[in-house]
Amino acid sequence: MRTSIVLVLSSAALLALAPSCNKKKAPDTTAGSAGSAVAETGSAAAAPTPPPAPPPAAAGPTDAQIAAIVVAANQVDIDAGNLAVKKTKNPEVKKFAELMITDHTAVNKGAVELVTKLKVTPEETDASKGLVSGGNDNRAKLEKLDGAAFDKAYVANEVAYHKAVINVLTTQLIPSAQNAELESMLVGVKPAFDAHLEHAEHLQATLEGGGSAAGSGHKM
Amino acid sequence: MRFAHLSLLVVALAACGSKPRAPKILHVDIRAMAYSPDALAVSVGDTVEWTNDDLVPHSVTSSTFDSKAIAPHQTWSYVAKTPGDFAYGCTFHTMMVAAIVVR
Repeated sequence: MRTSIVLVLSSAALLALAPSCNKKKAPDTTAGSAGSAVAETGSAAAAPTPPPAPPPAAAGPTDAQIAAIVVAANQVDIDAGNLAVKKTKNPEVKKFAELMITDHTAVNKGAVELVTKLKVTPEETDASKGLVSGGNDNRAKLEKLDGAAFDKAYVANEVAYHKAVINVLTTQLIPSAQNAELESMLVGVKPAFDAHLEHAEHLQATLEGGGSAAGSGHKM
Repeated sequence: MRFAHLSLLVVALAACGSKPRAPKILHVDIRAMAYSPDALAVSVGDTVEWTNDDLVPHSVTSSTFDSKAIAPHQTWSYVAKTPGDFAYGCTFHTMMVAAIVVR
């Protein structure tokens, strides 16, 4: 449970994006054109008062920042999976961890290939750095657990982590992506993350229900 | 004499009903963690091509054929040899299932 909190906290690094990640794709249409029209008609005798500064635009992450967040988010789960493969004795947990390694490695490969093609250099942000440090903290906690306690903590974290990643992906990264190919990649990867979450929740229910999975680490 | 042979051949072909059907190539997309279409009827001799349009690897695995891992953007094909119903799925993502029917 404590480990779960740690990963949720690392997920907070993702959620920290929220205040600044409103959709920025909408073109600056009505305000800009209407504003200039008013300025023209009213310019003759107008006092030279400078126009008020527009409110700061609600900026989401740039494509370069999105790339860094995606790579960090995948790497955190790859690292957790590697730890789980090493520590678990439960074949179902091991199978899940191996799938996380395989899938998130593939997603990162695709993401790196795309940003290389787009000539976008991933740019670290507090969110991407927070993901990495949160992942490190989480693994440090998991390292201290064994057997069923490890399995439950690892899988609970996977549930929480995938929920957080899917939320950020859907509400912040996809709406903020400027490049169509990057956006398409983000949209395309979501079903895999949804499937991971479903798999993790199923595994969690099995473990919490006494674990029908063989060798589920009954002893500490 | 030659015409007689030719006439016999024409009659024989007509008796068969129709020309032999050329094998087809049919496509299945693997996208968004699903096979599309998820049910496909083919004839013996047809080729089915699966293309992985996801970013994660998938497989096309049944009791009689197995692609092993199909990497993203790669294609795997299978020539239908035996009539029957063949359910298949992805060994990585077990919720992914589909079927081909070979006639």
